Amino acid sequence: MTLKADVKLDAKGLVCPMPIIKTKKAMIDVNEGQILEVQATDKGSIADLKAWAESMGHQYIGSTEEDGVLHHYIRKSGDDIGLEKNFKNTIANEEIIDRAVNGGIILDVREEAEYAFGHIAGSLSIPIGELEERLEELDREKEIYVICRTGTRSDLAARKLSEKGFKKVFNVLPGISYWHGDLSKKI
Amino acid sequence: MSNKVAIIASNGGLFDAYKVFNIATAAAATEKEVAIFFTFEGLNLIHKQAMHQLPMPAGREHFAEGFAKANVPSIPQLVEMAQEMGVKFIGCQMTMDVMGLAKEDFIDGIEVGGAVTFLEFAKDAAPTLTF
Repeated sequence: MTLKADVKLDAKGLVCPMPIIKTKKAMIDVNEGQILEVQATDKGSIADLKAWAESMGHQYIGSTEEDGVLHHYIRKSGDDIGLEKNFKNTIANEEIIDRAVNGGIILDVREEAEYAFGHIAGSLSIPIGELEERLEELDREKEIYVICRTGTRSDLAARKLSEKGFKKVFNVLPGISYWHGDLSKKI
Repeated sequence: MSNKVAIIASNGGLFDAYKVFNIATAAAATEKEVAIFFTFEGLNLIHKQAMHQLPMPAGREHFAEGFAKANVPSIPQLVEMAQEMGVKFIGCQMTMDVMGLAKEDFIDGIEVGGAVTFLEFAKDAAPTLTF
């Protein structure tokens, strides 16, 4: 399956260090928070791209393999931990599963690829960039627990929902990066 | 953590060249500040003519096929990429004098210096690698 990426790089047929060099160059045209997909056939690129992303402060999301081609997903400068959060109504990671059982919605506003590589079972995926045009998918009567990786995007999304008249909105902190339970995959 | 990688290239074979330039370009792609000090036979790697025909180790000539099959970039290509990404090349003045070579015998954009030039760069580099 193909996951949504903002920029795609074809590094097929190239060997080390070329996939890394091409990735470095391609990343220049990727905006902060966007996703770069690197297609490669070099098996070493799995470990290399992961290490490269970590060293550069980007978020390595994951890799898939299809017909001998590796698809690596990296989110640019994904490290937004510690940014100021403004939305007052927050809820802890540990509480949302029990609360959602009583009819709440866990809304995951990360990008599709991030969701695919690990999400809370039963959560709804609407990337933050699509939130405004997909509001009708949300039930205004239900409690909505907005979650992302570190609580920054979900803070923004929670504020947006609140502006649009949603009354029972919570920002989930600290977010998926500190999730201790199981995560489901969709790849 | 140090943001510098210092490399000493002191051998002039094709395998040596790949070790040097693969590490150098990978480090540069990870936004490290990279300098390579070319000394003795390592000078071959940036010599205008020699860099195009670096020898394989004796008895390993059959690897040529493997290089072609794996679509490995050529040394001149890697050199160009390294320079594009800001890798600093320092030619060893003393060795050049011994070998009767001048700065013009080498690719453009190199610096020429002595051991201290390299040591000054390498003093706070991690890692420092020798090939």
